[in-house]
Amino acid sequence: MVSLVLITSVLASCSKPQEETTDKQKVFMRADSSAPYTEVTQQYQQQQSGGGMGMGSALLWYMAFRPMMGGGMGYTSNGIAHQSNVGNNTSKANAVKTQAARGGFGSSAKQTSASS
Amino acid sequence: MILKHLKEDPNWQNRLEELGFGYHTDGDLPYWIDSYYYSISEDFADQVFDATTELWDMCIKAVDHVISNKKYELFQIPLFIQEHIEKSWEGDSPSIYGRFDFAYDRTNDQLKVLEFNADTPTSLFETGVIQWHWMQHYFGTTKDQFNAVHEQLISSWKTIIPYLKGNTLHFTCMRDTLEDLTNVEYLRDCAMQAGIHTKLIFIDDIGWNGETFVDLEEEVITDIFKLYPWEWMVYESFALHIPNDVAEAHWIEPSWKMILSNKAILAVLWELYPNHPLLLETYFDDPKGMEDYVKKPLLSREGANITLYKNNSIVEATPGDYGQEGYICQALAPIIKEETGYSIIGSWVVGQEACGITFRESDNLITTNKSRFIPHIIE
Repeated sequence: MVSLVLITSVLASCSKPQEETTDKQKVFMRADSSAPYTEVTQQYQQQQSGGGMGMGSALLWYMAFRPMMGGGMGYTSNGIAHQSNVGNNTSKANAVKTQAARGGFGSSAKQTSASS
Repeated sequence: MILKHLKEDPNWQNRLEELGFGYHTDGDLPYWIDSYYYSISEDFADQVFDATTELWDMCIKAVDHVISNKKYELFQIPLFIQEHIEKSWEGDSPSIYGRFDFAYDRTNDQLKVLEFNADTPTSLFETGVIQWHWMQHYFGTTKDQFNAVHEQLISSWKTIIPYLKGNTLHFTCMRDTLEDLTNVEYLRDCAMQAGIHTKLIFIDDIGWNGETFVDLEEEVITDIFKLYPWEWMVYESFALHIPNDVAEAHWIEPSWKMILSNKAILAVLWELYPNHPLLLETYFDDPKGMEDYVKKPLLSREGANITLYKNNSIVEATPGDYGQEGYICQALAPIIKEETGYSIIGSWVVGQEACGITFRESDNLITTNKSRFIPHIIE
């Protein structure tokens, strides 16, 4: 007896039409040169309608001054070498290390499927 | 081996979709054939089983020969990954599957291997699940099939558990491709049934944190099944991290499979086992006097850039982006011809065991991604 738990959900998710979300303007923020864009639309809207000191406000301030924050870790820059950024500061090294680079695999596909 | 017709089930597309099979047609062209099938004898199934087992053994010896003699240049394998290949071979890195494609010469009752899809073979879901349900729909339990793919997959994942480095086995493929995702999810399903904790991540979401590969939750990737060809990966700069990976993640299929999925292995096999009945005469670059032969790029996939010669004249050719890496010239094999088209036999190796077959049918001699899947039964 062949029994499966995943496959039908794959088909269901692939055939489901994507919901239209074009009625709202989206706001994206980019943390650094390697991370993907972060959508902050919801927080941004909260900020606009809720007096300006909600989550959106905090996030925008964080993004604006992020390089100088981090519990006294000091300034970091993506423009200089990893070792120059972190020196001997372990917590700073850990903070920098968690910013994984993505999108490196998958760029050279010559076909729409990898099958053979 | 006889092609037989059935009264078509008018509801066949819905029936397949209820099983999770969403790519049974490609535009207006059928991919899955529901209304005819190959009836094969038990003896023929045994013949394919024996040929597959023997070839797998020959392939393993050929990989050892290539690695021992460092013949990587013949395969156009970049220098930076060669040590990884050797480590994966010497360390018995886990491998799960592969599919030999055979031509069958009816006159001489002889199978000939056309190629080995050793790295990213698909049509596994169609073979293991859809084909089995097709038989039950039309024949109930009165017939049998050369098909233990599903059971063998679960069993093989169980065998691999002690070799896994971490607690999570990641699965990855490209996004936006239903065929690849279905095959990967099928494999993951079997792994889960074997008791393995799994996660799915799309190939472009894989991260590098400076020391290891990580998933979207920053979990270190220690073992990962990829439906993404090694020969694509090694030409992406991200692959330069692989030798520096502190976790030394297991990539499944392992990097030594780069040798078997490359058509150069066909020339190496002919060199190691000249005139073996399962092999076709094959050479690098030059036909060496053959007049009827097929010129194949080393890394071509799904029938791309294949040129077929008869009496030294081109009779068929396919377009594509391959060929810069070099070619092999392989003797032209007799292909099964029916009124519906030309057929080849795909024979699966799962966990080092021959365990099931597929038939692929094409309008032309060259099998491509437009070729149709024909089910079979033993009777």
